[in-house]
Amino acid sequence: MKKKVVSAILVAAMAMSMVACGSEEAADNSNAGANGTEAAGTEAAAEPEAYNLEKITMVVNGTLTANLDNRQDAFEQQWEEAVGVDLEIKQLDHSGYTDAVGRLFASGEYPDVILLSADQYAQYATTGILWDMTEAFDNAEFQSRMKYPEVNEGLKKDGKLYGFAPAYGNGCVTYVKKAWLDELNIDPSSIKTFDDYYNMLLAEKEAHPNNYGVIAAGYISGEAPYTNYLPEFWQDAYPALLQDENGVWYDGFQTDATKAAIERIAKGVADGVIDPTTLTNGTKDARESWFSNNQDGSAMCFTYWAGTWYQTLTDNLIKNEVDSELVQLEPIAEVGAYINREAPVWAIIDDGDGNNAREQAIFDAFIETMLDGGKVQVLWTYGAEDVHWSTKASEGFTINAGTDKEKVYGPYEEGTFYLLPTPNDPNSVWKKNAMDPALVICPLEGDYANFASTSDLASEGNLFFTSHMKDAPTSPASEVYTNYAGDIQTAKEVCIASVVNDGVSVDDAMATYVATVGSMVEESLADLNSAE
Amino acid sequence: MKQKKQLMTSSGQPVRKTPLATRVWNYRGYYLMFIPVAIFVLLIYYWPMLGIRYAWFDYKPVGPKTFVGWKHFETMFATAAFWTAFKNTLQLSIMKLLITTLTAVVASVFLNEMNNLLAKKSLQTIIYLPHFMSWAVVAGIFSMLLSPTSTGMVNGILKDIGILDPAGNGIYFLASKAWWRPIFYIINIWKETGWGTIIFLATLSGINPELYEAADIDGASRMQKIWNVTVPALTNTIITVLILNLAKVMNMFESVFVLYNSAVYDVSDVISTYIYRQTFAVALPNYGYSTAVGLFKSLVGGFLVIVCNQLSKKTRGRGIV
Repeated sequence: MKKKVVSAILVAAMAMSMVACGSEEAADNSNAGANGTEAAGTEAAAEPEAYNLEKITMVVNGTLTANLDNRQDAFEQQWEEAVGVDLEIKQLDHSGYTDAVGRLFASGEYPDVILLSADQYAQYATTGILWDMTEAFDNAEFQSRMKYPEVNEGLKKDGKLYGFAPAYGNGCVTYVKKAWLDELNIDPSSIKTFDDYYNMLLAEKEAHPNNYGVIAAGYISGEAPYTNYLPEFWQDAYPALLQDENGVWYDGFQTDATKAAIERIAKGVADGVIDPTTLTNGTKDARESWFSNNQDGSAMCFTYWAGTWYQTLTDNLIKNEVDSELVQLEPIAEVGAYINREAPVWAIIDDGDGNNAREQAIFDAFIETMLDGGKVQVLWTYGAEDVHWSTKASEGFTINAGTDKEKVYGPYEEGTFYLLPTPNDPNSVWKKNAMDPALVICPLEGDYANFASTSDLASEGNLFFTSHMKDAPTSPASEVYTNYAGDIQTAKEVCIASVVNDGVSVDDAMATYVATVGSMVEESLADLNSAE
Repeated sequence: MKQKKQLMTSSGQPVRKTPLATRVWNYRGYYLMFIPVAIFVLLIYYWPMLGIRYAWFDYKPVGPKTFVGWKHFETMFATAAFWTAFKNTLQLSIMKLLITTLTAVVASVFLNEMNNLLAKKSLQTIIYLPHFMSWAVVAGIFSMLLSPTSTGMVNGILKDIGILDPAGNGIYFLASKAWWRPIFYIINIWKETGWGTIIFLATLSGINPELYEAADIDGASRMQKIWNVTVPALTNTIITVLILNLAKVMNMFESVFVLYNSAVYDVSDVISTYIYRQTFAVALPNYGYSTAVGLFKSLVGGFLVIVCNQLSKKTRGRGIV
């Protein structure tokens, strides 16, 4: 009996395995088909085959401001009508975006296009998952209207472009509350050096012991450019792996410039001019503390994103009924220029079948149209027509009606471009969608050329930044570094915190850093330098 | 060669064992009822465990999964941050367990001594409530209370009573290596003591009143009754609670995650937060390494369960698993 059962099981197993082999064979055949297509694709490289693109799945973070609460459906519908392709938007949580993208890829749910930060781009570029769009980019129609070609040139890895930046990166500038400056009788144009800046912070501390000179989101930022929230203290230091003038990679964290910067931060905290909660603050914590309606315990200066955020910060101060006038501080001599971060990029996922037809079709439908100078570019820049903006004749609208913050917009004549109230907050005016009009690398054209944001502050902010900026160093792209990036970043944070909060000498803290992750840094540098 | 022991009836006749197939057939109804349960257990509890194999692979969000043998374990044991996290996990968990158990015992004894029923019930409810708050809310409350800025109540009091210089900086309790652990224990006492009293109060309600009457006749004071009657009656329960919770010491995460920061990693980072940073704080994580660390944590946790089970058998006469 037992033998019969065992025989039956063996026969069943054999049958199953044969079915499985058959499936595998079928799969192999299908792969062969793909390879066949690859061969055909290679043969037909000179004459790209047509690809019937029906749908694009995109993954994006919170920078697509036309989110679900702000009529994303209208944006999506108008984009689909303009391009003729179905668009599925997966908008992931902004603060956990890096992690969410990792999990998405690990689960095998690859979108067609994805927005990546400079850090993510540098680390994913070498993995083979991103499509090499160099040729498509070089042949793109928008090249003829390109204002800032250097933005995407700087993104190339070994001469290949794996991600496309439709705008330059933007950066942070230091905002100072004007009412506080006036109270101290300080003329902002007199702040030329770090000593001037530091004395201004000390003067505020002396006048209002509960207040602070400056608040930030961390002594060191968690992503590139790491110094942008406390630029006056970091000055010429750049605490990351970077290249010298000969192209040799070295650890900027172990330099004397970084040591001096850490000592300045420690002194700032000890003197009470840097809000000590900076250690644990996220950007939201720092922002909300700075424009809080209770200004007792708040800070005088806040270094944050330029352009649109100039308007947003001012709006929030107005909303909280505190003095709202801000001064954009020119970079002090030791800083020289504010850092323009590496731009976030749109990348196309390579399906690995060796045939570029699908990826090229996605490029044409998604990236080429993004900078078409017309309707689709306006969608990405300002959002959906008659939802976020309009050109129809209107008597205008009023925000904060019946309050002392009441403001009337309009009337508008037919054909005049104007922004409408924000869908989920009718008491504020819509500012922009995913692309900042002041940062975009190709301008709007034709009927759309005169479309411009009505926010003077945002325009003023952008102009201020572009006239006081320098490009951030290139992020390292190395598999070895990728493996150690988390440990190295943790060690940096611990090193800085031990000096600032525990009074450890900067040399001792740096020795601990070297003992903890020195070998990882050396290994990463060796890998980067061997690849150059 | 050791012979298989033959089962015998009371009259000395050998027991004829029914063949397995017959027994299965005879009880087929029960086996049929068990099938959904078995499938559920296999799917929910055991199938995900197959992921353990990735501890021996390089497994990143993109690219092939490459077998790397014991590489991740070697890296883990050679990494100082891992050992710091491991030691912190044991220290924080065990100290927390001892302290919160002690405070729960003390609170239970005092609650038991209260004669005013309304006051007793009110106090019980008040001290239970923090248990139902999420750790994120608790961290928010204590971050505000302990803030080094002018909004921090504790620093404000210390300045008002002259312990700190009114014009100077406040103490950043949650960013101080010296203060972080005491604060962590205090927060745990505040949050969990009330909940911990439930089991001890149940035990106290079961103490034979005649023991107290006998103590009264012997002229024992209130404190003597507590020490000689109440506390001995609680001993077995205390040991049981300690043993049951000892098996869970490796599971510490949320309470640390919401309260720690880079200034205090040395004294606060635990294995779960270490894994979290390795997995979620980098652009291209290696899930293989995280799995290796997680597997090690599970093995230590499993070992502790076995130890606790043995201890439980010795002290209570029965195991916990």
